[in-house]
Amino acid sequence: MVGMNAAWLLPAIPAGAFALLLLVRNFLPRKGDWVAIGAVTASFVLFFFVLHDLMTRLGPNFHGVSTGFTWLKIDNFVLRVGFFTDPIAIVMLAAVLVVSLMVHVYSTGYMHGDSRYGWFFTVLALFTAAMSTLVLADNLLLLYVAWELVGICSFLLIGFWWERQSAAEAAKKAFVTTRVGDVGLLIGVILLWKKVGTFDIQTVLHAATSGQIGHTYLTVALLFMLLGAMGKSAQFPFHVWLPDAMEGPTPVSALIHAATMVVAGIYLLARMLPAYMVITGLGTLIMVIGMITAIGAAVIACAQTDIKRIIAYSTLSNLGFMFVAMGAHALTGGMFHLLTHAFFKALLFLGAGSVIHAVETQEVGDLGGLWRKMPITMGTFVIACLANAGLPVFSGFFSKDLVLEGVMHGNTPYYVALLAWVFLSGIYTARLFMLTFFGPSRDHHRYEHAHESPPNMTLPLVVLAVLTLLAGWLALDSVGRALGFPGGVGEFVFVHEPEAYRFSFTVAFAATSAGLLGVLATMYLYWGGGPERARRFADYSPDVYALIRNKFYVDELYQAGINYGVLGLSHAVAWFDRYVVNDTGVNGTAQLTGWLGYRLKFLQNGKLPTYALAMIVGVLVMAIVALSMHS
Amino acid sequence: MIPLDQVLVFSGILFALGVYGVLTRRNAIAILMSVELMLTAVNTNFIAFGVFHRPSLAVGLVFAVFVITVAAAEVGLALAIILRIYRQRTTANVDEVDILKW
Amino acid sequence: MSGGYLLLATILVPLAAAGLLVVTPQRFPNVVRAIALAAAATMFALSVWVFVAFQTGSGGYQLTLRWDWIQNVGILGAHGISVYLGVDGIAAPLVLLTGIVILAGTFVSLKIDRRNKDFFILLFVLVAGVFGTFTALDMFVFFFFYEVAVLPMYLLIGVWGSTRKEYGAMKLTMMLVGSSALIFIGIFAVFTEAGRGTFDLPTLWGIHYSPAFQKTFFPFFMIGCGVLAGLWPFHMWSPDGHMSAPTAVSMLHAGVLMKLGAFGIIRLGIQLLPEGAKFWMPALVVLATINAAYGAIAALSQRDFKLMTGYSSVSHMGYVLMGLATLNVVGINGAVLQMFSHGVMTALFFLCIGALYDQAHTREIPAFSGIAQKMPLWAGFFVLAGMASFGLPGLSGFVAEFNIFVGLFRTYPVLGGIAVFVAAITAAYVLRMFAIAFFGELNPRWASLKEISVAESIGAVMLCGAIFFMGLWPSPFVERIATAVTHLPGVTG
Repeated sequence: MVGMNAAWLLPAIPAGAFALLLLVRNFLPRKGDWVAIGAVTASFVLFFFVLHDLMTRLGPNFHGVSTGFTWLKIDNFVLRVGFFTDPIAIVMLAAVLVVSLMVHVYSTGYMHGDSRYGWFFTVLALFTAAMSTLVLADNLLLLYVAWELVGICSFLLIGFWWERQSAAEAAKKAFVTTRVGDVGLLIGVILLWKKVGTFDIQTVLHAATSGQIGHTYLTVALLFMLLGAMGKSAQFPFHVWLPDAMEGPTPVSALIHAATMVVAGIYLLARMLPAYMVITGLGTLIMVIGMITAIGAAVIACAQTDIKRIIAYSTLSNLGFMFVAMGAHALTGGMFHLLTHAFFKALLFLGAGSVIHAVETQEVGDLGGLWRKMPITMGTFVIACLANAGLPVFSGFFSKDLVLEGVMHGNTPYYVALLAWVFLSGIYTARLFMLTFFGPSRDHHRYEHAHESPPNMTLPLVVLAVLTLLAGWLALDSVGRALGFPGGVGEFVFVHEPEAYRFSFTVAFAATSAGLLGVLATMYLYWGGGPERARRFADYSPDVYALIRNKFYVDELYQAGINYGVLGLSHAVAWFDRYVVNDTGVNGTAQLTGWLGYRLKFLQNGKLPTYALAMIVGVLVMAIVALSMHS
Repeated sequence: MIPLDQVLVFSGILFALGVYGVLTRRNAIAILMSVELMLTAVNTNFIAFGVFHRPSLAVGLVFAVFVITVAAAEVGLALAIILRIYRQRTTANVDEVDILKW
Repeated sequence: MSGGYLLLATILVPLAAAGLLVVTPQRFPNVVRAIALAAAATMFALSVWVFVAFQTGSGGYQLTLRWDWIQNVGILGAHGISVYLGVDGIAAPLVLLTGIVILAGTFVSLKIDRRNKDFFILLFVLVAGVFGTFTALDMFVFFFFYEVAVLPMYLLIGVWGSTRKEYGAMKLTMMLVGSSALIFIGIFAVFTEAGRGTFDLPTLWGIHYSPAFQKTFFPFFMIGCGVLAGLWPFHMWSPDGHMSAPTAVSMLHAGVLMKLGAFGIIRLGIQLLPEGAKFWMPALVVLATINAAYGAIAALSQRDFKLMTGYSSVSHMGYVLMGLATLNVVGINGAVLQMFSHGVMTALFFLCIGALYDQAHTREIPAFSGIAQKMPLWAGFFVLAGMASFGLPGLSGFVAEFNIFVGLFRTYPVLGGIAVFVAAITAAYVLRMFAIAFFGELNPRWASLKEISVAESIGAVMLCGAIFFMGLWPSPFVERIATAVTHLPGVTG
């Protein structure tokens, strides 16, 4: 029976597909897209075997199963490639594999006819392999390796259309920004290794919770690690790369920059949560960071006009929300929101991609009224929007409520702030679908040419929409048990003790009202005459609007910092090197030697007796010195 | 047998004469001859030390033969150069031949 | 003993090829090319053989060969100076590196048509020196080959170079020869202090020198060899020298010759004077950190491809020196891995830059834009080298840098943190270069650029293969290196 010890195959199959495509994709029919799709499908099927095996083994003393081999061994320093399967990994893996498969299928339509069609699938296969490795890694080093590999996939895919300067710049920005965070992660990993002597996550967690690591030391290591999580999950102040990453093809945005890679930071926190729970202050710090990101991004999303950027800020906002969940130690809610968010945000992006495919613009100002032309896209898109706004029966509702409940106890200010966040989510999602699908069409030419996307693009939309509708119910114990889980998600993913699902009417009512209020208010603003009312609303305070419209000028601030700070330092160092070290130090030595030669050349007068005299005097001096030393 | 110190005094005088000649003479041939005097003094020393300190080995004598050989080659070379200089400049006065500088 | 002829062959093959080229008439350039290629391929095969023949189980010095040359004369006693060759786990990968880089460099140099015969003669003499240094177990022979490796560089750069070539060649030679003087002093100090009348390295390693002596003379080796390794502030020959040098020479120089410096620090510094090493390593690690950070920061604002790569080499050699300075097994392991990794990676860098320069006749980064559209394969190689340089997992740089970081964190955690951060700066300048020059819209000025030639591609593929090989399966390297590093004196676990 194929079971959890075959978990290594999950990344290995796409990795093999990547190697194959890298070498021979141009000789394969259809540039080998079927190889990548087949590999992901195989992994997807295998996933259920692993899941089934996990279910049979679940029990009070079960933590997970580890398989692997030693990759490198120096003295007592061992690097292992090992895979660890446990409920947390399974939840994340479900998100990765489902979205990856859907994106693969969708891309056959969206990327059709692109000159680098084969390359696209090659990198997608690599990404799937690396992302599965990241999820399954049983040691921090392998996690870091996979972490970097998904980063480079992100780089390659954001810059997929690198003929556009903006895409090349965005790819660079994304990689370098996350890389700065990764520095922290690597330092954190090595610091923990230095204390514990192994990279194995479970051992490290055990050492941390049992107090083998001093509190100060652990705090420093975890803070460094947090930097890595913040970089990858685009938390303030590392958030700037994610909106720019929308330069990549839309399926990439759905897979990497919404559903999987960007939640790797949250996944890392979830993995390390027992350690983070040891240090009391860290949870608050994570919550504050998450809250700034969540609220700030939601506010910015309300004033963007690029359809993909609106969704990108929505992603940022949800990532912040998940950070808050992790900070509040609401593991269940956080991981569940990670799963549902993966579905509905991927759906949003793929729907946006379908729209872009049809009208070839990303400006919502040029859209409108598309519901008549693209009914399937519209239907699925609105489902995703409502899930994002957290309205009842949609999956976002359940996961969001789980988080809110987790945050509510003892963190009332954060709870209230999150309700505001729900309200803001309602506003921008409603604005998004109102501007895109309803109202009059604002660009008649584009409207005329719009058409529903081909089946290979709409099928993934429908599948994801169904998942968006159904996934939330997994929170309920009865549903979970019916599917073979021990109960709802709370009894499957937990830190210490399983928890039965409790429906809190207060939380549900407060959150739903906030969301509904936002949606309805926005629908009122945009209903009928298009964005006129909204524009008047913005004109109340043009300065505030400009501030939000320009994303609080954070990008400009960074650019100035890079131009004057980093590049300034670089120019200073380069100048120092050229003029001080080289021209003064190196050339100066040469010139000093030359000058001395010029000054001393009178000694070389060409007259034989002078030389002879010098020689004899020299010999005499040496003889006297030698004799005096001898005696 | 002549005692060692007498030989050393002799070679010392010979060497000093050579040095004096090299420093005071302006004629290239005379300088060359003074150099030969110095070499002879050194040779005398080699032989004397060799005979007095290591009578069983012929090291000192061997060295003296080497020096004579080198000196002969040197004289051959030096005379040739001096001849060329004289042909060109019609002088063998070393004070007038000072273009080999900086 | 029979294995010893293998090492001798690595030295004699390039010398024989050089001799053969001397008698080959200049008017048959293709014959010259054929001979050069055959010789380089033989060297490559020999180096692979050396690497494979090295027994990881037994460690120590293997494939030894010893011919006494001068003994019992004057100051020299038994085994005074001998042709004594042998490799340990540190030298074996470096011999392989030399073989790879020289073959790739020869492929690249096939297109040279000005006095190609003389070029290859000098190149092969240089390589003979490199092989000799890596395999020498006699201090005199070591120094001899060290100088042989350095000196042909002057002519190679001065005659076949570009961009202020006389200046670059002169500066490089003067600085390297000047530093050799320090090594020379150190060598004779050790020789005299040991008082055994021999230059035999294993004998000299077995002697315990007084701490005062070790502390006095370690800096001679540290700085003397350090200059060749690009130690700050004696690194200036590297950017300018690389900028002026022809492609193959840059490849060989940055790829292999700079490693001679680090190798010298191990052989002469750490192995001869372990207590001196222990005393001076904090100083070295600080200088090396400056190297790494300073090189990377300076590279950020360079406008010339080769200058940028030159500074990048300074930065990466800083990593090597940092690894050495940790004086623990993992760190030094990482340093040796980094020597190999940086060797192939920077050779690939210079190969690509050379391929571009030969067509475009400029190396100004901002002058280019979108050229990946015209040279996709070339850009692929370049990007791969770049990714290896900022330590992407799966490529050689990661294995090496990670070990160095771990080693550093054991001994100098704060500097380790800086080193990790420098890797991020490396990513920034590499990607900045790609974004400016390779991607974006094609500048019409470069519409006529052609793809990299077949010969260059073969060289590049070899180097890429080495990068992947070490990145994916580092065990063959680590097994060899670890046998030697664990037995270095004064190195902690």
